[in-house]
Amino acid sequence: MLSGFKAIANGLKTTLLMLKEPRDTIQYPEKRREYSPRFRGKHMLAQDEDGHELCVGCGLCEAVCPAHAIRVVAAGAPGSRPVSWTERYAVDYEVDLIRCIFCGMCEEACPTNAVRLTPFNELAAYSRLDMVADKEELLAPPVRN
Amino acid sequence: MIQLSIDGREISVPEGTMVVDAAAKLGIEIPVYCYHQALGPLGACRICLVEIEKMPKLQTACTTAVREGMVVHTGGPAVEKGRQGILEFLLINHPLDCPVCDKGGECFLQDYSFWYGSGKNRFEESKIQRQKDYPVSDYILLDQERCVLCQRCIRFLGEYVGEEQLMLEGRGVHTVVSTVEGQPAHSPYAGNVIDLCPVGALLSEPYHFKARPWNIEREETVCSVCPVGCASLVTGRDGHPVRLEGRPQPDLDDYGFLCDHGRFTYDFVNHPARLEQAFLDGKPASASAAVAAVGERLARVVEKSGGGAVAVLTGAVHTVEEEWALAQFARESIGTSRLAVLKPVAGDLPLPLLGTYADLAAATGVLLLGADPYEAVPVMHLKLRAARRAHPVAVWGLGDRVLTRSTLPGEDFVAEPGQVAARLGVVLGGEALDGRWAELRRGLLETERLVVLWDGADPAAAALLAALAGQRGERPTAVLPTHGPRNWLGAVRAGISAEHAAAARILEDAAEGRLEALILLAADPLRDFPDGDLAARALERVPAVYFAGWFAPEPRHALSAMLPTAAWAEVTGTYANMEGRLQVAHGAAAAPGQARPVRSLVTALARAMGHPLRLPDFDPFQDQDGDRIARPAKQPAESAGAPARPALPPGEWRVLTGDMVAVSHPPSEIAERTREPLPLRLHPHDADELGLGAPGGLIEVAQGERRFVAGARRDARIPAGRVFIPRGLADVPANRLDHGAGVKIALADPVREEVAAP
Ligand code: SF4
Ligand code: SF4
Ligand code: SF4
Ligand code: SF4
Ligand code: FES
Repeated sequence: MLSGFKAIANGLKTTLLMLKEPRDTIQYPEKRREYSPRFRGKHMLAQDEDGHELCVGCGLCEAVCPAHAIRVVAAGAPGSRPVSWTERYAVDYEVDLIRCIFCGMCEEACPTNAVRLTPFNELAAYSRLDMVADKEELLAPPVRN
Repeated sequence: MIQLSIDGREISVPEGTMVVDAAAKLGIEIPVYCYHQALGPLGACRICLVEIEKMPKLQTACTTAVREGMVVHTGGPAVEKGRQGILEFLLINHPLDCPVCDKGGECFLQDYSFWYGSGKNRFEESKIQRQKDYPVSDYILLDQERCVLCQRCIRFLGEYVGEEQLMLEGRGVHTVVSTVEGQPAHSPYAGNVIDLCPVGALLSEPYHFKARPWNIEREETVCSVCPVGCASLVTGRDGHPVRLEGRPQPDLDDYGFLCDHGRFTYDFVNHPARLEQAFLDGKPASASAAVAAVGERLARVVEKSGGGAVAVLTGAVHTVEEEWALAQFARESIGTSRLAVLKPVAGDLPLPLLGTYADLAAATGVLLLGADPYEAVPVMHLKLRAARRAHPVAVWGLGDRVLTRSTLPGEDFVAEPGQVAARLGVVLGGEALDGRWAELRRGLLETERLVVLWDGADPAAAALLAALAGQRGERPTAVLPTHGPRNWLGAVRAGISAEHAAAARILEDAAEGRLEALILLAADPLRDFPDGDLAARALERVPAVYFAGWFAPEPRHALSAMLPTAAWAEVTGTYANMEGRLQVAHGAAAAPGQARPVRSLVTALARAMGHPLRLPDFDPFQDQDGDRIARPAKQPAESAGAPARPALPPGEWRVLTGDMVAVSHPPSEIAERTREPLPLRLHPHDADELGLGAPGGLIEVAQGERRFVAGARRDARIPAGRVFIPRGLADVPANRLDHGAGVKIALADPVREEVAAP
């Protein structure tokens, strides 16, 4: 009986001692962890200073993606208004974030450094369809606050 | 034969073979840009360097003919260094914009740079900039920066086709490919330069930026537009065909050249006019409801009046398997023997005479009997030119207009309108022929291997062709029918009669009220049947017309039901071309809307009729001739003559008609840009007398009460006093005119034209 109390006291001692130690738990979402700038989270499509998209719709990211998560449909720029910095651009650009394995191969393959993986990793959604990020979404990269 | 060794392996090849081809026979690939077997050696790009023992320097494998005992090394440090150097030079001014280049991923400059290049460029100066979107034709763009100046495109159009429309301009690094005098290339074969260009310089405008090699389905197919049935590759993306390319077939000596009418009309399967939805009594219906209703109605007719009260006409554009399923449906489920192919011409080819493309390649004499291959079956024109390059071929044109042309020179014998067969009969009769005609007789009878390209228009010619073959005795005579429909020989293989009389009997029965229902599989009797008036009477009289196919014929209110079927590129199956060769075409696209394969349609119809159809296995190739449809044995032929027609009243024009694939190809939004606004043809003198401007204008063609207005062009190949009207033209249906009676022609009254226009 006594040994039982002893054991409990022993255990509690460890627990109580730990209260003094610095905490490892982060109070998410009030507090958020700092990630390395190289963290591979959700994608973004970059633009240059003039607002021209860097993506030229070459489809190399689509080709390299091991998870078949990307779909690119290219076209010539409509009329005289260039969309990207050259006459070809991506009309449609979609990343299926459920399929994506965040390997970063797309980023590596991109000849124009257009697709980039941001550190943003809060990807919850209520429907699967919402997990397919379209071009509009990718051009306005989310920021973690 | 010459014995040589390449990379330590012995091979013997015929004299005159180039080292590059000898190596290819061993499966050793030597890189080439400028060399192409169809064009012969040039030696412009120097990528094909190889080392040949006892020769001091590297040699170009494409210009070096094999010699006895030659020892060739296609690799090694010297060769690698040479190739690396050439590639470095080629890339000096190359823009390296692969990510936006349509050729990226299937480009020989990429491949060779990857395999043989150095991976580094020592050239640091800025590159020369040139025009990026130079329009070569309505369909072709040229990126002058990407060009490696191999000259394949120039030589193909200039030498192979004989239409010089591209050239080199400028000197040194400023050399560019351009069109002659800035005029767009208008050759119907120009599209082939897209396939020939080893880099991404010549691009297809309709395919521009559409897809990349890794996100497409690229399947072997055959062009579906005319009976040549050119081997091709169809590219599908997201369920739609987006490109057609030529597919070389080395074992058949076919370089895979296409014509632009075939290459740029693949989008017909997604044309707005395509039937994608079932209609019942003029109202949209679900496919299952329409099929059930049609099946029930057919069953009622069969019960009441027997299967013979139903007839089936096929336009023979579906696959052989599908035509066969249709034939089974007609015989087993309906129980009718009234089943025929609807042909646009009345002539029936004697099948024992059916020739092959190999016959054509070996021919010593070619008779164009009413057929103008350049317009009707364009790639046959290229095949003829290729045969002429290999050995002398005599070409005779016998028709009611000029049939040879500057790119296919020969002797022309112009007969009176409608008298082509009669003329042939006179020539074969051999009595009282004057100089030129006697020459023709001698040529036809004495040439070693004769091939006749026959347009099938004049039924009397069939017996004469058999007689000609008979008179030639042991010397081979082959006939290639240039008329459509595209798969009529496939329908014959499927057991459907393609005789004109069979289709005519069905329409006569219909016109006389002996039919209760007519089923049309992609057939348009009003547009295509040679006797348009009979077709009109038939369609008016028959109580129910059920149509299944891709494009419903007009007038649609005459159709009790329209059922959409899957088209070319949407099903896998075989087609037979005009030499009767069966070729497999694979699907690369999805059938739109409710369209379904014929096989599935007829089984559903049969079930709805209460006679479930069990389709046993059918293999179109299971035939004694393998991939050719069987030719029956030759029948002994009696010689025949044809009666001359009565002279026409003066002041009237005589109607000529013929096939023009530019008019008869399926509706295509891409080809709309080159649609011929002036499809009719008149002799320039006649045009002057009418007051028709250059190149042409609107004319009115009148016969009795019938008046049609269409554009006409001046053409010196049409004899004076005659007007050429292509078959199947909606504006002027040549099959609704009595060709024996002549027509009146006047300039179209512009005021009335405006009123008539919607
Ligand atoms: S990160 Fe990897 S898996 Fe995700 S889209 Fe890019 S290539 Fe595909
Ligand atoms: S993101 Fe980069 S790799 Fe992907 S299509 Fe655009 S340019 Fe090409
Ligand atoms: S355009 Fe193409 S085919 Fe023509 S010369 Fe240049 S590289 Fe050769
Ligand atoms: S010749 Fe006929 S089959 Fe060949 S590409 Fe042209 S249209 Fe098609
Ligand atoms: S391929 Fe031999 S020189 Fe061009």
